Amino acid sequence: MTPDWEPRIVAFLCNWCSYAGADLAGTSRIQYPPNIRVIRVPCSGRINPLFIIKALQMGADGVLVSGCHPGDCHYQTGNYLARRKAAVLRRFLEFLGIEMGRLHFSWVSAAEGTKFSQVVDEVTQAVKRLGPATRLVKARTWT
Amino acid sequence: MMEAQGEKIREVARRLLEQDRVDVVIGFEKGSLPLRASPVFVRTVAETHRLIWDCFCENNLARYLTRIDDHRVAIVAKGCDSRAIVALMAERQIPRERLTIIGVPCQRMVDRRKAAAAVHGEILAARCQDSNLDVEGRDFRRSLPRDAFLYLSCRLCTHRNPVIHDVLIGDPVEESTLNEPPSLRLERCSDHQRWAVFSQTVSSCVRCFACRQACPMCYCQECFVDASTPSWIGRGTDPSDIQMWHIVRAFHMAGRCVACGACERACPMEIDLFTMLEKLNRDVKELFAFEAGISADTTPPLGTHDPDDPGDFIL
Amino acid sequence: MTMKKIRKEDLKRRVEDLLETWQVFAPVWKEGMVEITEIDDPATMSLDGPPPRIPPKRLFFPQSEVLFHYAKDTRGVEIDSDPEVARRRVVLGVKPCDAHALSLLDCVFNGDRYQDPYYLKRREQTVVVALGCDEPALTCFCSSMESGPFSRKGADVFLTDIGAAYVVEVLTPKGHQLFEPSRLEDASPENLEKAKEREEAAQKTISSHVERAGLVDKLDEMAESVLWKYIHEKCIGCGVCTFLCPTCHCFDMVDEGDEAVGQRVRNWDSCQFPLYTLETSGRNPRPSGRERLRQRVMHKFNYFVKSFGQPACVGCGRCIIHCPVNLDVRRVIEAIWTAQ
Repeated sequence: MTPDWEPRIVAFLCNWCSYAGADLAGTSRIQYPPNIRVIRVPCSGRINPLFIIKALQMGADGVLVSGCHPGDCHYQTGNYLARRKAAVLRRFLEFLGIEMGRLHFSWVSAAEGTKFSQVVDEVTQAVKRLGPATRLVKARTWT
Repeated sequence: MMEAQGEKIREVARRLLEQDRVDVVIGFEKGSLPLRASPVFVRTVAETHRLIWDCFCENNLARYLTRIDDHRVAIVAKGCDSRAIVALMAERQIPRERLTIIGVPCQRMVDRRKAAAAVHGEILAARCQDSNLDVEGRDFRRSLPRDAFLYLSCRLCTHRNPVIHDVLIGDPVEESTLNEPPSLRLERCSDHQRWAVFSQTVSSCVRCFACRQACPMCYCQECFVDASTPSWIGRGTDPSDIQMWHIVRAFHMAGRCVACGACERACPMEIDLFTMLEKLNRDVKELFAFEAGISADTTPPLGTHDPDDPGDFIL
Repeated sequence: MTMKKIRKEDLKRRVEDLLETWQVFAPVWKEGMVEITEIDDPATMSLDGPPPRIPPKRLFFPQSEVLFHYAKDTRGVEIDSDPEVARRRVVLGVKPCDAHALSLLDCVFNGDRYQDPYYLKRREQTVVVALGCDEPALTCFCSSMESGPFSRKGADVFLTDIGAAYVVEVLTPKGHQLFEPSRLEDASPENLEKAKEREEAAQKTISSHVERAGLVDKLDEMAESVLWKYIHEKCIGCGVCTFLCPTCHCFDMVDEGDEAVGQRVRNWDSCQFPLYTLETSGRNPRPSGRERLRQRVMHKFNYFVKSFGQPACVGCGRCIIHCPVNLDVRRVIEAIWTAQ
């Protein structure tokens, strides 16, 4: 790990709440670490655990999945389904030896610009402490 | 006891075929090798003599139920196999009314590879007795204690008796108390050690997909490994692709795996596929109080939710 | 050719010498099964164990192989393709069935119309040392497949275990790279007698026979037979038989990377996977497992015989032992013979 290593974190944000919350953080000029790469999805329930695992395989040092608070999902129950998948997935990946500091889930509403920046900060610090991801990362032998 | 069960299975099959209640009986016949039994599809009374029952009847025949078209089928099912039938019913993959379930309380199956490794030389003949496995080679003859040569899935099994049946072959057997599963021991190790165990365990995988094909719950028309736009997984030998195959396959079993062990038995590289699934099953039970294949009137746990689902890991 | 011999300790010493400049592959016990792997210490060799789970075809036709790298920029495309095999290689303790299988793979990869540079380079750089098989298993039917427990086909050097030593037959110029016969002791008449006994005993041990006379014609008649439905019924459609088979060689080629830079890779594939023949239109000429199983049997015992004069099967028995449902190819052939 080089001293100026910066983690690359993939953030799956649900369109209606978390993405809007991130946008609010931006328009409010709230500073937060620049390490996340945002992928907007219609709902946190859209997240196929395969996306998370694939992100880790492609070299993401951390993954964040963020959706609406329980009860607020634009599609009623999408975030509840996401919560179940997340609970199972993180226990399973932890069991296999993937460091839990690389995988994070949050509820961030469209009004929570500040919370969003705090979540990103917390996630970035957790990933930084772990260093670059090495487990499950695919070797890019052609570069 | 197994001989008597075999006789009863033949009798039931004869009756079902004579009375034209089924088109085919799916059961087991003697394998072409020692320590093997093999799935058989019996369609006439004359063929029913082929049906047997012993401690080598290791396959989960429910695997064939997703391709029976519109035939009426009788199927021989151990405890775990019957759970697979229920799980398939819960997922609306098979029609109960066209099934006759010949439930067999299970004496637990012998791990043929473990038995072969316990002797010096090739096993030329083997016979299941109730508590022993008698094996014979060119220069040896031994009586192995069956309990020491069971599959991991059988050692940990808590559903030896069929959970659903139309006929029961023999008396119910006593369910075992749960031994400490290997996954519990692993949980006590560091993440470093767990990763080392996992990556080492799957490193000899050749992606033959026997585990997937043997599993009754793997019936997708297109498996994620065959998707190409996008391509989720490489088909080469990169360790991360191999690891991804196992992680995702296991995850697709969350809330669906009936712990039959068909995967571990099918694997030609003898990989311990069972421990990670056992851990997943345990988590699903703990998180959502759900066990696959017990009741057909359930919604798969990842397809539903409860307002009080655990979520304190969420920021 | 005079028959030579080498004492077992001398073979170990020869291996130690070779290790300085050659890559040495040998069967090794690993986690309860035998695998052919690169060794750095002759003491780890297990030459008299059972056959390796995955046959040595892996050394010539790897499960995954980079064919070339590409890099594109505004000036054009650069392709870097160099099937380089750095050092000479020797693989010891190959079962005669597996060695024979290599000569069958040669028909495909080193044929009249196409010579595969990747396979060929490995083949040229590798000396195959076969060891006569003293303990054929119940599932071995090599003698019915133009092979046998002491078949010399495909081997550069053939060893016969006579106790404290091996009788050595150097069969090809490549074999000479490994053992210069003039530097070996002559085998004595007693040694040769012992070797002959071992060979005959092994051949007598083969208990499994498959009738092949007329099988090609019989299979031609059976192409549309409903029997295939019944033969295939219990097959679960995995790839165990194909991946463990010493002669199976289906592959897929994929590009990995992106538009700018990447590589083309050749990976093992299986005719038993539905995707193998799936066309972009969605049509599949082998739409179900029944057609795929039929194709496999036809390829091994009919098409290959027509193309190359011998079956693409060496009777090693791996497909029989490891098939999850004990679908036995010998029983399949019996069923074919008894079909109307």
